Amino acid sequence: MSDGVVKILEGNTFVVSDDRGDIEASMSDPTGLFSFDTRFLSRWVLSIDGERLNALSTDDLQYFETRFFLVPGTGTVYVDSQMSVIRQRAVGDGFFESLTILNHQDKAVDATVRVDADCDFADLFEVKDALEKKGKYYTSVDNGRLLLGYERGPFKRETLISASEPAQIDEHGLTFAVTIEPHGRWSTDLEVVTALLGFGDERARTKYGRGSRHAKPNMERDLEKWIADAPALECDWDSMKTTYRRSLVDLAALRFSPLTASGRSLPAAGLPWFMTMFGRDSIFTSLQSLPFAPELAATTLRELGERQGSRTDDFRDEDPGRILHEMRYGEMTAFEERPHSPYFGCADATPLYVVLLDEYERWTGDTKLVRDLEYEARAALNWIDQYADLMGNGYISYQRRNEDTGLENQCWKDSWDSISYRDGRLPGFPRATCELQGYAYDAKVRGARLARLVWNDPAFAEKLEKEAAALKRRFNRDYWVEDGEYFALALDSEGKQVDALASNNGHLLWSGIVDKSKAKAVARHLMGPRLFSGWGVRTLAEGEQRFNPIGYHVGTVWPFDNSFIAWGLRRYGFKDEAATIAAGILDAATFFEGRLPEAFGGYERTQTKYPVQYPTSCSPQAWSTGAPLLLLRTMLGLEPIGEYLAVDPALPQQIGHLELLDIPGRWGHMDAFGRGRVDVAKRTTRRKG
Amino acid sequence: MPATKQTGEPSTQGFFDELGAQHQPLLAKTTGTLRFDVTESDNLECWHITITNGDVVVSREVADADTIIRLEKSLFDEIVCGRANAMAAGLRGELALEGSPELVMRFQRLFPALVAGRTS
Repeated sequence: MSDGVVKILEGNTFVVSDDRGDIEASMSDPTGLFSFDTRFLSRWVLSIDGERLNALSTDDLQYFETRFFLVPGTGTVYVDSQMSVIRQRAVGDGFFESLTILNHQDKAVDATVRVDADCDFADLFEVKDALEKKGKYYTSVDNGRLLLGYERGPFKRETLISASEPAQIDEHGLTFAVTIEPHGRWSTDLEVVTALLGFGDERARTKYGRGSRHAKPNMERDLEKWIADAPALECDWDSMKTTYRRSLVDLAALRFSPLTASGRSLPAAGLPWFMTMFGRDSIFTSLQSLPFAPELAATTLRELGERQGSRTDDFRDEDPGRILHEMRYGEMTAFEERPHSPYFGCADATPLYVVLLDEYERWTGDTKLVRDLEYEARAALNWIDQYADLMGNGYISYQRRNEDTGLENQCWKDSWDSISYRDGRLPGFPRATCELQGYAYDAKVRGARLARLVWNDPAFAEKLEKEAAALKRRFNRDYWVEDGEYFALALDSEGKQVDALASNNGHLLWSGIVDKSKAKAVARHLMGPRLFSGWGVRTLAEGEQRFNPIGYHVGTVWPFDNSFIAWGLRRYGFKDEAATIAAGILDAATFFEGRLPEAFGGYERTQTKYPVQYPTSCSPQAWSTGAPLLLLRTMLGLEPIGEYLAVDPALPQQIGHLELLDIPGRWGHMDAFGRGRVDVAKRTTRRKG
Repeated sequence: MPATKQTGEPSTQGFFDELGAQHQPLLAKTTGTLRFDVTESDNLECWHITITNGDVVVSREVADADTIIRLEKSLFDEIVCGRANAMAAGLRGELALEGSPELVMRFQRLFPALVAGRTS
């Protein structure tokens, strides 16, 4: 996203405009007003007497509200303007814009104010892939309202535009002939309503417009409460405090409330393009934020459970018990040109669902939810063995059944070249990536605990434990690359090792599937020069044929990945190593004012001195937002043990004194304290010279 | 674990017979009433469903319901026989909904698997 692009949102409605507040989208240009994955305005341009405006400043009042200060003319900011314009916009079921023009002269002025409007009703997927529309457009002007519409059979989407002041409305916009008194002002309210016809609710007004039935929420207060409810952080290192606060605020903005959640929220994947439910992203982010905002995990579990697969559907890669990958609402999904209604093609969310349920109970003691979701959890565990073992070798593997629009790689490293052999060849399908086996192992171990503790089914618990033990044994034999002393990235369709060295090894530590005797070698690799860049662990090791420090999943460093790797290192007792990773990622965060990008370049830290951001369109990204939270948990060694919270800090020296106060959980609220003692410089095997 | 297993040719009647015959674990946490108003030119047929924690009673009464879904008979038959997907039909605007979408969302998971993968 280039500078000067302003994003505001509420739920899955958002506006992307330039710094004047104007929208001039093309089919391939991702600006506009979007709602339910459809563009509802592709042109929204303000001019006065035929002249475009110039931005003086932009204020983000809230994440759903922005104010633009403008003057007429272009490039003439050095000349004192005789007029200024304030454009204030709030999003919610469309948007509401207050337009005010101030006359700074001693005499009255006449002006023609024009707002051009148009819409292409593009589906988000069409914007991404620049596709042609199949339906037809219609426009009408009546009752002081401009209606822009699009229909394709029964599918109808409309944008309704109106103003509070008299306007001349034509099919391309609104014109106001105004006279402004000396030192006076003129203003109008513009309302843009998005309508999904036949979808149950036909909205006539924007959510936060004047006279709307929704009182405009006091977001300031909502945000203050959100932050007050989270543990308080005190720390000698100011950057840590900045990063922590940024994470909490961004997590608030990323809250997404599905139609069925009665107002409760779960973390969406990223802002603005991924403001929807994603199985994997919502689960990982919920895990990261458990010690801080455990209610996100509860909603994630409930809502994903509501949508759990119930049948076999090849187009959607759905199986009974499978947890969804992604849900979308746009035209292409509606006409089944895309499978996202919802789409299930992901191999990790299902075991991770059980992992989250157990981890949630360990923190909160909420056995009621575990009881409520027994059916869903059992169905998820059943999926692992009955539907995910495509090769019949006891491992989860994936191969899409929707070969047209399904996902090829159904693990978190989902780009085309992410899974390779050392020599760069790509394996065929099915593919059984290693971390999936770790998640399956963990799901079985944790499922067994829940079966014994809550479901009162010791026989099922025993069965799961036996399966887990057998899986661990086989895994440590079949995936271990003898000559490299690490776990292979995957097994291919013939059961042979896909032998590249990758960050997935860290997730294996997190899952606990690694034999104790092998953990040291794995940790050595993670902290060694081929994987550790100085900022964090690279997705793929230097020296592998496909390694590229700016390759999406083949060399970049992902904060989310690293937060789980650090957790894994801690699990096997490598406290200092975990602290070293935390130090690197948190150092990197200081270059982004606390907002970690999805990924940054895998260049050697000593070479670039600063983390080179990988260009992505989404910011903040949920699991990057969650990374500092999980790193805090990891550094403090927070672990629920029975009814207590164990604290065992191992903090990097630079952090100094750190306290995390009022950590919520089954113990009520607890405080954790620590002092930085780990000299991170000693913990990496740096390259010489 | 498929929600309902029909024997022989799938049919709307068969689907609902099957539905009422056994406890539905997918609806175990659900209590409420749902009515499908199925239209075919001037004809209206109703399927009224009472769900009590997974136990389902089906009738043809035109009784009140928490959620009412109005749709065309051809589409209804396709959905109930596993030849069309209800969620996609909803997004296309082919289901007119009154009441809570939650109940429909839950109920649609009981519709059978798509017969030959995708239909459009």
